[in-house]
Amino acid sequence: MVTANPISENTACSARSGAGLLVLLVGIPSDQLESVLANLASCFPMKELIVASHDAISDALPAFSHRSIRFVTTPATNASWTLTADDFVNAWQLAEKHDAHAILMLGPGSGTLHASALSGLADSVITTQTDLAVAYYDLPPHTGLVNSAILYPLTRALFDSRVRFPLAVDLGLSPRMAERMAGAARRFTQSNLGETPLWPLNEAAVARFNVDQFDVGSPHQTQSAGPDLNTILPLVTGALFSDIEAKAAFWQRFRSLPLESDDIFNRNAQEPLGDAAAEIAPMLQAFRLAHTNLQEVWSLVLPPHSLLGLKRLAAAEAATFCMPDSLWARIVYDFLLAYRLRTINRGHLLGALIPLYLGWAASHINITASGVNAESHIEAVATAFENEKTYLVSRWRWPDRFNP
Amino acid sequence: MQNVLATMLALDTPQGAQPLNADNTSIWTQMSEALHQSLYRVLSLLIAILPGILAFVAAIVVLTLIGMLLSALLRRGLTAAKFDDHVARGRGSVGWSPTVSPTVLVARISFWACVVLGLIIGVSAFDASYATAANFTHSLLPFLTRVVGAALLLIAGTLSARFLARSVLIAAVNAQLQYARFLSLGVKWLMLVLTAAMALDHLQIGGHVVELAFGILFGGIVLTLALAVGLGSRDLVSRSLESHAEHPSESGFAIPPTPTAGSSEPIRHF
Repeated sequence: MVTANPISENTACSARSGAGLLVLLVGIPSDQLESVLANLASCFPMKELIVASHDAISDALPAFSHRSIRFVTTPATNASWTLTADDFVNAWQLAEKHDAHAILMLGPGSGTLHASALSGLADSVITTQTDLAVAYYDLPPHTGLVNSAILYPLTRALFDSRVRFPLAVDLGLSPRMAERMAGAARRFTQSNLGETPLWPLNEAAVARFNVDQFDVGSPHQTQSAGPDLNTILPLVTGALFSDIEAKAAFWQRFRSLPLESDDIFNRNAQEPLGDAAAEIAPMLQAFRLAHTNLQEVWSLVLPPHSLLGLKRLAAAEAATFCMPDSLWARIVYDFLLAYRLRTINRGHLLGALIPLYLGWAASHINITASGVNAESHIEAVATAFENEKTYLVSRWRWPDRFNP
Repeated sequence: MQNVLATMLALDTPQGAQPLNADNTSIWTQMSEALHQSLYRVLSLLIAILPGILAFVAAIVVLTLIGMLLSALLRRGLTAAKFDDHVARGRGSVGWSPTVSPTVLVARISFWACVVLGLIIGVSAFDASYATAANFTHSLLPFLTRVVGAALLLIAGTLSARFLARSVLIAAVNAQLQYARFLSLGVKWLMLVLTAAMALDHLQIGGHVVELAFGILFGGIVLTLALAVGLGSRDLVSRSLESHAEHPSESGFAIPPTPTAGSSEPIRHF
């Protein structure tokens, strides 16, 4: 929870000394702290750094002494897997207090990032006109599937952004971007909803700020780091749907996408994958169980054409299970529309999306197992979202008149 | 009007109540007298309750009109003040989300509050004006008020049953329980039976029979569900207990990624 003046100094330095870079460590375990600080010290030997972390690990901070690093503490937030509204408010309060020229927010898992990754994120904000630098993670093919299925395609189609990880936990922010994010975050913190994830890309798009993404390599992930899908998927999609609803006036205007200028998406060349049928069996089971039981809910949200497509999918064999990209795009758009129109309770709505997502994930694994590059398929899905945007806009504007 | 009719009837009754001539008494005369007395009683009753009925109808009509006016004014005022936008900004992305906009919700609440107020005023006016009618007061009027309460109970119970049934269905499907629909139906009928028993109890119909029947039915449904879930998910429970025993420090928040067979990389949704 954010308080009126939550920042307390560990050092006797002046508050308004004009620091170069503010680094906010969010949800980093104590055992990774030393490596992060060592990386920061090696990346920015000549810059004055302010490193802020929550109270629980602040005791370990003074033990790491470096001439260019000052340590401050912030109140602990509940960020365990992503950056929350509280973190953005804290970042802006610290940046304003210490007159920082750039803010680097490092989330859980950033302790395993290479020093050059941290340097690249910060330098893109400090040395260029970039307002928001977002980390690009080089993940294995079957990782970050929620991002690939929903977050990235939706953000790309509606906010004209090629950034691959809209909910990245490692960010570089300019002061004006941090101020804007704090303004957006205060709406949630004032309502005691400080744990809500925010969408920096959407804010930057609306404000017409410069956005860039920087390859930070492959973060090491532990087995126990995977959050509960039934908890996190409704939370994340609900937050994104709500943000999309609030910014409807912006994304309804047609925009052309910039041409892809780098080869960042051509990673993940086909790696040897396991037995796809065995991998997708539990997902297919969940999808088919939901198809049997959730018809009454889905029929309130989805048009008959989509229901027919799902019926065919449920009857398909595991080896041939393949959800068409356009069907998935329309399903997500229909759920977004139902979220906006409050067709059913929003908790029920987002819960009913989970088995459909599992169906998409099973289809994605099947497709990649057949030799298609995972990133190519994700790009095809994102393109389908762009192509179906007219469907969303039409139904958004005329929900009663438009007949799919 | 009440006084006039009462006077007219009062003029007739003394003569009609006693036979004029015992010699002329016949079955037709007695029938006529009986009918006359009955007509007198019914007309007296109507005269007694007529002001109450008129007050009841007038209270409802007037308060409904006031409610419509207030609702329209609120709707216009809140729309002009962009009330929906303010609420949406204050509420954030999660939390309570009604199915209509806040402006419409406020307007509807004000309208129905006026209607309910009219109903209460009407019933109490009816009650006050009819207090003299002895037998009818003790049977019909309290029953009427209880019927309204029972109807509200039924509506709330049905809505709750529907909401809970859908919540259980979606949660059970996402937990991959094969008997998700059965569980959902069980919860729905539990709520409906509970609601019906409460409504009947509120109406004071059935007495102990309802309580006994409800207890048997409710207990039967719970026992059936317990047996079905217990027998159907023995493996699930044992697996859950084993995993908790093996990893006592892990909270329910973090669940390992989907295990896959024969793959070098596990499937991670995040």
